[in-house]
Amino acid sequence: MAFLLPPLTGVVTRMFHDLFNGRLAIDIGITLFRAISAFSIAAISGITLGILISRVRPIRWFFDPLLSIGLPMPKVALLPIFMLWFGLFDASKILMAAFSASFQIVVTTWAGTRGVERELVWSARSLGASERQILWEVIFRAAMPQILTGLQIAMPICVIVVLVTEMVMGGQGLGDSMLRSARYVDSPGVFAGIVEIGLLGFCVMKTMEVVRRRLLAWHQETQKDH
Amino acid sequence: MGSVARSPLDQRERSQGASGGITISGVNHEYRPPRGRPVLALDGISLEVADREFIAMLGPSGCGKSTLLYLVGGFMPLQQGRIVVNGKQVTGPGPDRGIVFQNFALFPWKTVRDNVLYGLEKQRLPKSEREEIAQHYIDMVHLAGFEDSYPSQLSGGMKQRVAIARTLAIKPDTLLMDEPFGALDAQTRSLMQEELVSIWTQSPTTVVFVTHDVREAVLLADRVAVMTARPGRLKEIVDTKMDDLPQSEVMKTRKYLDMVDYTWNLVREEAIAADSEKDR
Ligand SMILES: Nc1ncnc2c1ncn2[C@@H]1O[C@H](COP(=O)(O)OP(=O)(O)OP(=O)(O)O)[C@@H](O)[C@H]1O
Ligand SMILES: [Mg+2]
Repeated sequence: MAFLLPPLTGVVTRMFHDLFNGRLAIDIGITLFRAISAFSIAAISGITLGILISRVRPIRWFFDPLLSIGLPMPKVALLPIFMLWFGLFDASKILMAAFSASFQIVVTTWAGTRGVERELVWSARSLGASERQILWEVIFRAAMPQILTGLQIAMPICVIVVLVTEMVMGGQGLGDSMLRSARYVDSPGVFAGIVEIGLLGFCVMKTMEVVRRRLLAWHQETQKDH
Repeated sequence: MGSVARSPLDQRERSQGASGGITISGVNHEYRPPRGRPVLALDGISLEVADREFIAMLGPSGCGKSTLLYLVGGFMPLQQGRIVVNGKQVTGPGPDRGIVFQNFALFPWKTVRDNVLYGLEKQRLPKSEREEIAQHYIDMVHLAGFEDSYPSQLSGGMKQRVAIARTLAIKPDTLLMDEPFGALDAQTRSLMQEELVSIWTQSPTTVVFVTHDVREAVLLADRVAVMTARPGRLKEIVDTKMDDLPQSEVMKTRKYLDMVDYTWNLVREEAIAADSEKDR
């Protein structure tokens, strides 16, 4: 068996080809749409659940063991169930990715809200804040660095899981294109896909970093750089 | 409009005059950490603070001064005894009792200005008025020019001054201050002491002032309560009302120097007791 390693020029030519015939834009667009949808769902539900867990004892009681079981589990293993319930199109891919990524967000949100200094909550209370204001204006804000860390871990998980579901289920996107190239032993296509995925990942991670720096302008970590 | 807004205020002041001050009776507090053995921090504290009196608390580190302040602030549930502030039994925190925490507890994601504004926003004052008040207190603690800095960009003493401004800005009826000048250099400390005295002379409020500085306590307070080493009990209350002189003059009087000496000895005894406790 011979390894098929295409020449670099072949890969680059292929990428330019994909770029100009619009293939690349469509694939990246579809994959990105799925990943971002999944990320949004995971972020909203994960942060909400994380805060609820830290505030409401029965909810904590119920979810604590589930999180311990679910966190180390490879969630994509449940893909057949998601396919069964949500069909073969976007919904199952997005929900699969959202489900996989939400665990990180729940856990970091929970840890972040739990670690808020009590004097911080007390000062808000003695300055006249209501319990609701304390939750959003103090606890949520104080937990922000950790919540953002959770989101930064969750975003690549969304991309990974979306790519995997595309490879398994088809339905366009970068993962599907790459696997299709492999099926036709089109090695420049496979490697072009890898490079494209790499570039996509790079852009996504850098965007997250910029967002983090914006939101945490007050934090010491952002001040070291200046 | 003006007179309507005033009348509840007037009533409030009148009711204060009748039964103001702080009454602490038979207060115990035991910390029960989830792991490790329970710590009795306060043991049978009873103390009357008169309306608009300035009382200072002295005592060795770990004797329960912060704990007592937290209980008066209503931040922790009372385990035993009773605390009444301005005629109302303490059941929780409220803006009637302003507190300056030992570790500042500033909101790190808010700028200096927004930290000071936070309490004012909760009082539903018009925006321009809020900003005027905030600026007034920022100027007062000599932080003009740092309005847009975040706490992480400030020195310890500057953070402490922000915390003081934030608390004073809401004009609480009762001021609880936990070593508010602890992180300041000698000159700034002396400036802030004068500032506090002038605020207090203009509109006297009940003040409980925790400090480690005996001279500061004697200089500022009407009475100084000295606490014992842990578990905190009241050792002695020293009357330290000084003559009505400027601070620099007071500090030269015989009475002041004797008072400092006397109080210093009380505190020293307890510091030694606390030290030998540790060795055991
Ligand atoms: N959260 C806590 N859990 C357990 N024990 C505590 C807690 N906070 C304080 N203590 C204990 O209670 C005692 C009193 O603490 P407190 O903070 O009131 O002392 P303090 O007089 O303010 O000391 P310092 O002058 O150093 O600030 C300490 O000896 C400490 O061991
Ligand atoms: Mg203390």
